[in-house]
Amino acid sequence: MTRTLARQITWSILGLTLFSSLAVIGPSQTQTPAAADLRGVIRLRVRIGSGEGAKAKGLARKRFFLIKGSLEENKSLMQSIEQQPLLSRDCYYRGLGASEALIHWLRESDCESIYCREVEAKDVEGAGAVREFQEAIAAGEKDFGSRELARKWLTVNLSDQIRDGYYRRRQDELQTLLKHAEQVSKATVLSVMTDLNGTAFFTDLEPGTYVVSNILATEIFGNSASFWNCEVKVKPGDLATEKPFLISNPGNKDPRDVRNIKCRSVDKPLPACPTANANSGN
Amino acid sequence: MPHSQRKLRQLIDSMKSFQLKPVALMLLSLILLFCSQQFSSSGQATGQKRRTRPAARQRATKPVTNYSKFSHSTRQHQEACKSCHQAPTNNWQKAAQDYPSQDPFPDVADFPGHDSCVRCHRAQFFKGARPVICGVCHTKISPRDDARASFRNLKAPGEFRIEFPHDKHQDVIAALRRRPNSFDFTPRSLVKLAHPPDEKVSKYNNCEICHAAATKAAVAPATGWIDAYVPPTDTFKVSPETHASCFNCHWNKQAPTRNDCAGCHKLGAPELHTRISMKFRHDGGGEKKNHVGECATCHINITKAATLRGLKPDVPIFPSCATSSCHQKVLNEELNNYNKAPGAFKCTKCHTTDVGNKKPPNSHAMALLG
Repeated sequence: MTRTLARQITWSILGLTLFSSLAVIGPSQTQTPAAADLRGVIRLRVRIGSGEGAKAKGLARKRFFLIKGSLEENKSLMQSIEQQPLLSRDCYYRGLGASEALIHWLRESDCESIYCREVEAKDVEGAGAVREFQEAIAAGEKDFGSRELARKWLTVNLSDQIRDGYYRRRQDELQTLLKHAEQVSKATVLSVMTDLNGTAFFTDLEPGTYVVSNILATEIFGNSASFWNCEVKVKPGDLATEKPFLISNPGNKDPRDVRNIKCRSVDKPLPACPTANANSGN
Repeated sequence: MPHSQRKLRQLIDSMKSFQLKPVALMLLSLILLFCSQQFSSSGQATGQKRRTRPAARQRATKPVTNYSKFSHSTRQHQEACKSCHQAPTNNWQKAAQDYPSQDPFPDVADFPGHDSCVRCHRAQFFKGARPVICGVCHTKISPRDDARASFRNLKAPGEFRIEFPHDKHQDVIAALRRRPNSFDFTPRSLVKLAHPPDEKVSKYNNCEICHAAATKAAVAPATGWIDAYVPPTDTFKVSPETHASCFNCHWNKQAPTRNDCAGCHKLGAPELHTRISMKFRHDGGGEKKNHVGECATCHINITKAATLRGLKPDVPIFPSCATSSCHQKVLNEELNNYNKAPGAFKCTKCHTTDVGNKKPPNSHAMALLG
């Protein structure tokens, strides 16, 4: 009997030892799948509408940011975002004394800089020609000996302000606010750009509360600026297959969207342009 | 000896006889634990150290410099690029003949001049009738022949990787594509343009300004195509092979400019990217022989990629591929077949067997729920 008891004690010790060894070895060899499942995804969808009867459309190619923490926790940042001075693209270029043709060219494709799209032959010749482009091509033709190459490389002969001054001004504002956001939230701010359907993904997220924000006001419909600051919760294992997190503007009355909208923007009318050359120092 | 004492002695003896076994097993466990720490997940020993040769022996075999080979990684060759390279070189118009599909453009299209070499390598430059150092650039070593090797030899192993921030570039390209003859910016013009034929009318700066559809058949890997599947030309998009896509903006003002080579070129092996779905055809899918949507619809993380290092395709199966009207049925069939015979069935509708024989990731199954 004592021999049996001794054997039982020994095998218990043995089993315990092996189990504890495996428990130590296991995690050191591979990451547990559970750890990966604890991350989440936000499938963001941004759609805007212009009132009753109008179909809502995806807001394409706009940058959105994900800030860690709740709206309350980021209160000072939200105030800074909403108090930022508004200067429309049209006003910026008018302030530089840019031609109306250039302002129209930028507005056509909602461009923040000349890099936005190719300058075509019709943009430099005929009634719709843009004076700034004509001047740049003339300079390029001298440098490269080819009018066609001068057109394709047009941006290298434009002044910095005309070329991408508005974009850089917004980037400066953005960097200031991003810095503030990272100080307040004590975490890196993630960013994505919406595709043509207004969809974007934030991936590999720690569970918790976040704010989806465009940080800089987005001009929509050419007459108003929209601010999105929307709180969203990420649960462990949230997947891209989840329903999209739909955000919209107050004007979206599309019955397809209305019930699914999680958050609406705060819209402000674009202010009138300041007097000419007020912003020429940028 | 009383009975109780005899019993106690028996118990002690039996314990002694079994003490060796647990000690040995505990030792074995400790060895296993030690091994697990010594080997990385790839199975390579991380703790191994090569035996070092005695210093005296190393000194005895001083390496001989091979002056017929040039390397940018040599410390003395890491001055500012423009100390050797001229941008543009005088031959740029002539050199453009190598790329007939492109209009000529000012480029760095030739080796640096002799001055760049002579200022340090005078001794090697004038050594013998046929100095080996000349072979770095010249195909024939002769004072009467200035023929040079092709400056841009794409077959040679690259010395540089490219640093390219997709995020910055994505910000400045087209905000909205428009339909032809539609110049108003009204809500009506904010339409979903999923079908590329419209955009062909006006050239908008989207990803295709750098990543156009391939026009040449892909070169087979050294080990041959897996499953003998030769991907059609429209499988791949191309990446820029020349400076034309960069210099058109980064010529003189917009940094990094043409003389700041290190702004884009970093010493190190070029990044190589692996295709997971070899049978996916960027420009060949669907009835219209063209995948609808735009690049960022599938490559969901590209707009935040600040570098090419470690860049992944990041294509979520849902909703990119598995939405109802596209590939959901095929995905369903493949997964069902795999589940019937795990390990034996290979998913070959999208993959070659090197990928298709692996267990489908969870994303594939989850896509069907979407």
